[in-house]
Amino acid sequence: MPGEAMLAVRDLRVTFGPVRAVDGVSLEIGRGPFGVALVGESGSGKTTVGRAILRLVPAAGGTIRFEGQDVLGLRGRPLREYRRAAQMVFQDADNSLDPRMRIGATLGEVLRAHGLAAHGLAAHGPAGRGAVGDRVAALLREAALDPELASRYPHQLSGGQRQRVAIARALAVSPRLLVLDEPTSALDVTAQARILALVRRLREERQLAYLLITHNLAIIPELCEQAVVLYLGRVAETGPTAGLLARPAHPYTLALRSAVPEVDAAARRSRIILSGDTPHAAAPPPGCPFHPRCPLAVDACRTTVPELRAVAPGRQAACHRAGEVLAGLRPPGAAPQFRGQLADELP
Amino acid sequence: MKLEIRDLQVRFGGPAARPVASVAGLTVDAGEIVGLAGESGSGKSMTILAVLGLAGTAGATVTGSVKLDGQELTGLSGAALRAIRGRRIAAIFQSPSLAFNPVFRVGELVSRTLRLHGLPAGEARERADAAMRSVLLPPDLLRRYPAQLSGGQLQRVAIALALALRAEVLLADEPTSALDVTVQAEVLELLRELRDARGMAILFVSHDLAVIAELCDRVAIMRSGEVVEQGLTGQVLAAPRHAYTRELLAAVPRLDGPGPGGPGPGPGG
Repeated sequence: MPGEAMLAVRDLRVTFGPVRAVDGVSLEIGRGPFGVALVGESGSGKTTVGRAILRLVPAAGGTIRFEGQDVLGLRGRPLREYRRAAQMVFQDADNSLDPRMRIGATLGEVLRAHGLAAHGLAAHGPAGRGAVGDRVAALLREAALDPELASRYPHQLSGGQRQRVAIARALAVSPRLLVLDEPTSALDVTAQARILALVRRLREERQLAYLLITHNLAIIPELCEQAVVLYLGRVAETGPTAGLLARPAHPYTLALRSAVPEVDAAARRSRIILSGDTPHAAAPPPGCPFHPRCPLAVDACRTTVPELRAVAPGRQAACHRAGEVLAGLRPPGAAPQFRGQLADELP
Repeated sequence: MKLEIRDLQVRFGGPAARPVASVAGLTVDAGEIVGLAGESGSGKSMTILAVLGLAGTAGATVTGSVKLDGQELTGLSGAALRAIRGRRIAAIFQSPSLAFNPVFRVGELVSRTLRLHGLPAGEARERADAAMRSVLLPPDLLRRYPAQLSGGQLQRVAIALALALRAEVLLADEPTSALDVTVQAEVLELLRELRDARGMAILFVSHDLAVIAELCDRVAIMRSGEVVEQGLTGQVLAAPRHAYTRELLAAVPRLDGPGPGGPGPGPGG
């Protein structure tokens, strides 16, 4: 990562009552264009990390520094300036856009709220007029949308179009950092491909840095230089995306990789089906949080929490067997788990 | 042939209106998974609703033929259709949390459905427990409310219900699109087992050709209400004849995709 990181998160902790949703997460995002993926299943704490970075949920511990400033200590005007510099795009554009406001009014409101356009009735017009209307049209064009859409309501747009509007709204305040929370998981693959291409273009044009939160490893190679794999609020593995995907050091990363569906039968990896869901963060298992689902767990995993440590240049993993996994250790071929049961159980 | 669709057309408006779904011919045999692939709005879900005899509830008119084991389903009375729907033809949908009434315990919904299809209460309970075990869920989960189960667990309960009813045909409308990839892998494995061990005929709707490739024996590609290409999955995806199929293929994200623009990380590390 050249020079100092734009965003540096150290040992971040977020608690909800007794639940440790985020338990000591560190990550860095370099100056844009630069992408970091935050990968994990539902319940891993990945969205909470993104929200804590934007000060949408309070941190219980750790530090967050953005361009050298202490983010957690910001108040008043500096906090508002930070919130302009760092913007969030939510998973569900259906719920993050006001259904009663035309697209143009939604975008115009952001511009005015941040003092980027004069107050006035003009912007409330159907297609927007005057300076605000011009800015709105430019934003829509930048997000590869027809400026005519400014006069429409969210329900008149497709899911992919709504997500582009959400991106345009984030861009309205010229942020330097974006947190993209599952921006494509509500979309079909065709719309997803268009959103990913849009982010890929914008990162160069706008010199954007971003944190891409996702459960799908397949969408990160094209967008993210670095990846952080999260499990039950802790970092399981981190490193440059290409190396991490080519040679995982953590069995959880192996499982996530093997879960990605492949068109090409030759590219299909022997599937590691994880039994059961992520345990709840309110009652984490003793030892390694992943051990109850891990096909490679040994005795040490059940008693001792593995520390995140360097396993290769630029790479860290929290696994007692990381060295072996990196060297090619794989679980034995998974037997089809339902076979037999279906025939036996039913009379 | 277990399920046979011929000249099916679903329309909103009069007979002159352009069909929102038009399927000239599509069959699913026992022990076979057939994929129906296309973007949002291509007509996949309307096809499923028409097969279930539910397109009318959405205000659509349906023409053509849908046969189960040679028996014509279109034009059947409501009562005759209800005896088939759910029992012989089961369906699972994208949002399992919407398919379960949130104020009832899961087990209540399952046993009520089984009783509706004529099972005595005692047998309904036994079958529900056995079906839960066969999808590797503890029968205890039946005592919980839908909100207390994860999306993957609810989807497996929906499949267990189909199993308990001994459904012969399963219509699966994007059943894994709302799930994490890890949970998706698990549900896909379960569907394969239903095909292989129970000989179920499965019509599987998805927008994701990678999922289709992993699961389906044959595939029909649908665009703007029409089937533009169909055949054996391996052949269609290896040598797509229609430009739209190629477009859908190109949209699938790849683990070995090119790195981000500009100076990126080197390979390995």
